[in-house]
Amino acid sequence: MRLEAKGLVKIFPAPVFSGLAPLRALAGADLAAETGVTGLGGSNGSGKTTLFRTLAGVLEADGGVILAGGLPADAKRLRELAAYCPSNPRSFYFRLSAAENLRFFGALAGLTSAEAAARAEQLAGRLGLSPSDLKRRFDRLSEGNMQKVSLIRALSRRAQFLLLDEPFRGLDGVACRGLLELIAEAGKISTVLVTSHSRELLAAAAGRTLRIENGRLQPGGPA
Amino acid sequence: MSALRVIAAFIRRDYLAEKSYRLSFALGALATLANLAVFYFIGRLFGSAAAPQLEPFGTTYFAYVFTAMAFFGYIGTGAGSYAGRLRLEQTQGTLEAALSTPLGVLPLLAAMSAWNFLFATFELLVYALAGVFIFKLDFSAANWPAAGLVFLLSAACFAALGVLSACFVMLFKRGNPLAWVLNNFEGLLGGVYFPAAVLPAWLAVISNLLPVTYAVRAFQLAVHKGAGLAALKSDLLILAAFDIVLIPASAWLFGLAVGRARKTGTLGEY
Repeated sequence: MRLEAKGLVKIFPAPVFSGLAPLRALAGADLAAETGVTGLGGSNGSGKTTLFRTLAGVLEADGGVILAGGLPADAKRLRELAAYCPSNPRSFYFRLSAAENLRFFGALAGLTSAEAAARAEQLAGRLGLSPSDLKRRFDRLSEGNMQKVSLIRALSRRAQFLLLDEPFRGLDGVACRGLLELIAEAGKISTVLVTSHSRELLAAAAGRTLRIENGRLQPGGPA
Repeated sequence: MSALRVIAAFIRRDYLAEKSYRLSFALGALATLANLAVFYFIGRLFGSAAAPQLEPFGTTYFAYVFTAMAFFGYIGTGAGSYAGRLRLEQTQGTLEAALSTPLGVLPLLAAMSAWNFLFATFELLVYALAGVFIFKLDFSAANWPAAGLVFLLSAACFAALGVLSACFVMLFKRGNPLAWVLNNFEGLLGGVYFPAAVLPAWLAVISNLLPVTYAVRAFQLAVHKGAGLAALKSDLLILAAFDIVLIPASAWLFGLAVGRARKTGTLGEY
């Protein structure tokens, strides 16, 4: 499904009485991505994460329009269509096992517990996450394994739009290769957007790369 | 998405999280028993003594406060748990992740405090069994259908107040004036520990503005005097009016608060 953003603006207001100016994170960003994998590079604070969170419907844009399959899509519609993997994997219940976390978030995304478990098991194998790690409490996983669980949460939704923000962070070589294969497979049926600060990984993952600077998109990859 | 599946997922998640804190889980269950011990000694102190303000309820102080505490313990769950749960999600960093899914506001509200209500139901059952078998309270005059109606109207009303309280948490994270009022004044002014008739006239005016006053009075009358719908008509109508206003208003305002947090990018903040 084609994903388009036209003139996307996102401004974060400054805290009241802080004397600070509002932060203009997206300043009229234009994007068009078809089914397949599109890479997105850009320096720290350039607007990559804000763009992904807006395209995923987590944030509401302050201006511009997002089109899904040619139709305007509000934040609610985008949350139905998009799966978002944040760059920080610490968005899980630490006292629950990885599998229980995936079962819970799967239910919120409309998966049955059997579907969530089956997909988790299958994806874990591809990313080098062992069955015992799936059963381990989330806070007892390494950073890299936390990242794998975060990836499984997004990938298991099999969404029309897959937004992976720094997906390679903390992964070992085997897991990186597994993730590249999964991204390529997802790109056959979904519109996949991937960010990375690694030019090599982005080139390996995506046939086309864009660059975002100061909240605007342009052709090119990481500097 | 099935709302029931979402509710079941929240209950399972909260049960597993609570169970993982083994000592806390055990202490929570023990606290229910400790509360019962407090009642036992209150009962020994006051025995069957009755105050004139208790006359309309036709019962002793012990039976009055026992019933009110059990009742308020349950309906108060709604008032406190939404804000508490939401705050926990914020500090854990899981709120934004949960709200990144297609989960709507209404299923979220239905599911968020489901575990708390389940645990409160367990506590209520313990209280009821203790009241009958340990404290030998006489509920033979009770009009249970009327009490059940009061219970439903009251629980819904307090859940709506809890959702309103959660709006403050969604927007301001800490600093919740509604929770402050609910925590500090509902018990004092609502006739939980003593009949509201004990209050001086100027405090009685404030007491009459609170739904808990009508809820506790109607429940006491239904349980101890066997009051029926006709006798409870005015209290039931006032509770229904609170529900009609508060339930849709709270759900709508919570939706606005979530939307505001999405707009300002503060869903992930704590």
